[in-house]
Amino acid sequence: MAFEMGPETRQVQGMWDISTYRYRMEGGGVRLLTEAMKEKRIKGVRCNECGMVYVPGPTYCRKCFVDIDEVVEVEDRGTVMSYCVELADVRGNPRETPLISAMIELDGADSWFVGAVVGIEPEEASVGMRVKAVWAENPVGSLSDIEYFEVLEE
Amino acid sequence: MRNVAIIGVGYTPVFVSKRKDVNIVEMISESVGAALNNTGLTPDDIQAVTYGNMQTFEGVNLPHLWTSDHMRALNKPTIRISTGGTTGMSTLQAAYYYVASGMYDLVMAVTWEKQSEGDSQVGLSGIVVPEAMTMVQHGMDLFSGKGMGFGGGGSTGAASYQAMSYLHHSGASPEHIDKMAALERSNAALNPYAHLRKKTTVEDVQATPMVAFPLRFGHTCPTSDGATTAIVASEEMVNKLTDGNVAWIVGLGSATSDPCTANFLEGQITDPAEQMPAKIASEKAYKMAGIEDPGRELDMCEMYNGFAHQSLMWLEKLGVCKEGEAHKMLDAGALNIEGEMPTNASGGVFSTNAIGASAMNRPTECALQIMRKIEGGHQIPKKIKKALSHGWGGMFQYVTVMVLADEPVSS
Ligand SMILES: [Zn+2]
Repeated sequence: MAFEMGPETRQVQGMWDISTYRYRMEGGGVRLLTEAMKEKRIKGVRCNECGMVYVPGPTYCRKCFVDIDEVVEVEDRGTVMSYCVELADVRGNPRETPLISAMIELDGADSWFVGAVVGIEPEEASVGMRVKAVWAENPVGSLSDIEYFEVLEE
Repeated sequence: MRNVAIIGVGYTPVFVSKRKDVNIVEMISESVGAALNNTGLTPDDIQAVTYGNMQTFEGVNLPHLWTSDHMRALNKPTIRISTGGTTGMSTLQAAYYYVASGMYDLVMAVTWEKQSEGDSQVGLSGIVVPEAMTMVQHGMDLFSGKGMGFGGGGSTGAASYQAMSYLHHSGASPEHIDKMAALERSNAALNPYAHLRKKTTVEDVQATPMVAFPLRFGHTCPTSDGATTAIVASEEMVNKLTDGNVAWIVGLGSATSDPCTANFLEGQITDPAEQMPAKIASEKAYKMAGIEDPGRELDMCEMYNGFAHQSLMWLEKLGVCKEGEAHKMLDAGALNIEGEMPTNASGGVFSTNAIGASAMNRPTECALQIMRKIEGGHQIPKKIKKALSHGWGGMFQYVTVMVLADEPVSS
């Protein structure tokens, strides 16, 4: 390959401000969930056709394409379906301690809840381990009312 | 449907992190010019143009219209296609549909990305911004992991859940990811159109920092500038214009699942390592191509792998081998350029990622392997009769498949 790049050309700065966009989201399932979290409970929606339980719940079943509105409560404990160990934060800055971020299927639900698993070393983590939510002392109806998950000895 | 073949391919002279010497239209023009040169065609011969790049990655709108003259599309129909990581192959599939339907005989598919002029993280964030902002309003914390927050490592963060689930279910170890990474980077070193061209050992990969276990920096793709153009033709035009050394598109398919990452608002229900669309799309493509036993009948594979674990995963999901067998093929040397199932002889997306062109470079690599027109040192020694190419993208959910062959399927 004899290709050589030509002389560098000038560059100008562009700007496209996405903060000027205004999105309106349904999010009914999130409101249902955060309301329940005030009482340290987790609620989702079940499909009457296929039995699928979603947390947070959509207004229709993504498997059967039918409207769904049956509210169900699920457990605050579940099984780790997958996880990763984050060594940097969302901005790419190194974390002081690695964070085990897990996808958790809560007992009674079919969807995966995301949470940090605390109290074990990253090397001890595994797919299939059982975990339980640790709640904030005074929940306020925020997704952050679950502070983290800890490993459950059963 | 009519038989359709790729009769020529044009790459930009290089795929690199920054083409500082050309602007977007000039870079696209290089690739279109190369495709016309390689086929001996003139712009007048081309009847329609399909065009693909990522939305928002360069922050530009309607590029298929303001580049129309540079891509020789004047007075012709042109359509922009943007299906995420699969964009390149979707654009080629659209060109196929034009010719297979009988509407046109010679169609050009133009794909590109010039990531140095944009911000792919902004482009990727744009996929989830409304949902993520809603969740943030409800207490999601992207820094601590509280409130269903996950964000460490951007796209790598999401891929690491997939990688972990894949390792768990397949029985492969993180060292197999290192090994696949080293193999593909070493293949890329032989490919003049690859971006990261360095012979790489397993130890080199293992020396790179961990981003989000199980994925290291050495498991992730670069961001590249580059463009690829392919010209497809009907059988009649193949007979009229070529010496017959072409690559026939004998099977294709595509399918989507629900978003299986970052489905914040409505509950993620699908394992990102399940990838059912790969099974659906490949079964469709194999049926069209008359392939009953992909593992035996295919001669090579080009997988879309933004991350190094994915080549192994796709071999299983696309039915090239059984679940849990891909890492054993890797250990046995079957995936090497000289092996039984050479996989990503080009170095893959993992070594070169001008995103809009990335899923195009899979079928074009297969086509050039079939035509034995590979430049550089990565020509597969054995004769390639049937080749599998694959694209992947969206919210971990969309798969495209194309099977290429040295002969058309007789109908
Ligand atoms: Zn249902």
